Amino acid sequence: MDPYKTINCKVIKVIEETSLIKTFILEPEKKFSFATGQFIQLTMPKIGESPFTPSSSQFAKGPFEVTIMKAGRVTEKLHELKANDTVGIRGPLGTSYPLNEFEGKEVLLLGGGVGMAPLRSLLLTLLDEKDKYEKITLLYGAKNPADIVYKDQFESWKKRGAEICRTVDAADNDWKEKEGVVTCLFDDYSVNPKNGVAVVCGPPIMMKFGTFKLLELGFAPESIYLSMEKNMSCGIGKCGHCGVGKYFACKDGPVFKYSLIKDIEGIWE
Amino acid sequence: MEQKFISNEKVKALTKKLIPDYEIFYPRRQEESWDWARMEADSEFTFEGHRTVLPLKYFFYSPQENLVEKKKDKPRIIFGARGCDTKGLSLLKKIYLEDPEDPHFRKDVLVFSADCTTHHPDCFCTVLGDQPWATENFDLNFSIVENGYLVSVGSDAGAKFLKDHGGFFESARSEQEKSMSSHRTSFEEELKKFNGNKVLDLKDLEGKIEKHSDVFKEYGKTCVSCSSCTNVCSSCFCFFLSEGDENKIRYMDSCQLKSYARVAGGANPREDLIERFKHRFTCKFVYRPQMQGFNGCTGCGRCTAGCQGKIDFQEVLIKVAEAK
Repeated sequence: MDPYKTINCKVIKVIEETSLIKTFILEPEKKFSFATGQFIQLTMPKIGESPFTPSSSQFAKGPFEVTIMKAGRVTEKLHELKANDTVGIRGPLGTSYPLNEFEGKEVLLLGGGVGMAPLRSLLLTLLDEKDKYEKITLLYGAKNPADIVYKDQFESWKKRGAEICRTVDAADNDWKEKEGVVTCLFDDYSVNPKNGVAVVCGPPIMMKFGTFKLLELGFAPESIYLSMEKNMSCGIGKCGHCGVGKYFACKDGPVFKYSLIKDIEGIWE
Repeated sequence: MEQKFISNEKVKALTKKLIPDYEIFYPRRQEESWDWARMEADSEFTFEGHRTVLPLKYFFYSPQENLVEKKKDKPRIIFGARGCDTKGLSLLKKIYLEDPEDPHFRKDVLVFSADCTTHHPDCFCTVLGDQPWATENFDLNFSIVENGYLVSVGSDAGAKFLKDHGGFFESARSEQEKSMSSHRTSFEEELKKFNGNKVLDLKDLEGKIEKHSDVFKEYGKTCVSCSSCTNVCSSCFCFFLSEGDENKIRYMDSCQLKSYARVAGGANPREDLIERFKHRFTCKFVYRPQMQGFNGCTGCGRCTAGCQGKIDFQEVLIKVAEAK
């Protein structure tokens, strides 16, 4: 099997989340499944490839979803895709969230900005087997109300049993929830580090201060999971680009226990 | 396994016989250096000398290639690969051939290595505790003895080759085996002496690289991020994957280039040149031995020879390794 060969996917639907973020519903031509937290390489033929973590539940049958922020050459082209267009994928690649280690625990998801995409996959996967977990909480922050992704979905997640608190860095007149950086959500929300695990995904600066806050609240480094965004190119541990210290984020990650990488210099950069 | 002898005449006859079935390369002398040349029926060659300017690795994969199924080329035989290059293959094979196997890394290459009889001014395999002859990843090894070569077997493929071409080889005599040992010992001594009889202890390098980052600041001053050091390295493996017409295109990439680790959106964990220069040492002597079990350096000295900033990589390594 050639790990560089792509599987074609038909674009079923494009959802505009924010001015810079779109969600694509993709239907693979061949059988494809992933474990939540794993990533794929999305290929624009003759343009390039970029890594993304699917944002749908690992249990969802058929099409899957990918949420993409316009941030560079490839994502600009990806944003031009319309229903019925074709893209390529390679994967699934890398490590997934260890759901068996979460069973019986209070699972806290701490997300920022488009970092909500992998966490949405995890959240939906957890909610699909809700009874296995003591509690499922999402603490989410965005720059402003307009930048919130999956705007119309939070209510349905609450109905399915998730506890959700949200904040924005800069509120507008209509915003009724918290204002401030994501860690301020802990002012009003009490956590249970003794029987809890926390999963963090978002921009590097948010992940850094989010992780430090969790440690301060008493979470053990072994109970904090990070989804690391690095420059994955081959996705199979050969090209060297996505080094996190001695690890390759594409193969040893992208999901890392914080305890594994806490002493590595520059992980937040 | 029993060693064999092949005379100078027979080795020429053998290569002539092999040319129709194999693509064969050998080290050709160019004044003071050696480069790879394609073996032709009238090629004059000897396996004396030292490592070539370009590394062995590019016979296994191309510096730039389309990752499409290739039309079946002839299998390759590489004569005269040196110990530093065969050692470098350990890391490359670990990376490319394991979990998952990269189908574009060639497995139809026979390596017929040869003992070094001279050295380049930048060679330092002995400083790393290695020897100037092949100890791994060779199929047959050729050691110069009187009127020919003593041939040792390094793999099943090498043993099969000897069996298939038995008529060219004869049993080695004990004085030929002794002669090989004494040549090896005396040349190893010569190289050790040239390198000040140093053998570095690389065990505590992780802490030392961080502690003595001033060494990298000092030596990195003349680095121009040209990536020569990684391109000619016997064991650097990094590449970038891009889009081709049918499948991907892969081309060699370098951790010394500024854009190497940059992610979409512009964040770059190694924007600073000195950090990149230091990273190359950490990767080679800390990360790769910890994760893949092999050093990413075999002392071939090509990085120093090819450096546009005249950086002596061996000197940097010694300075850090010997610091307290």
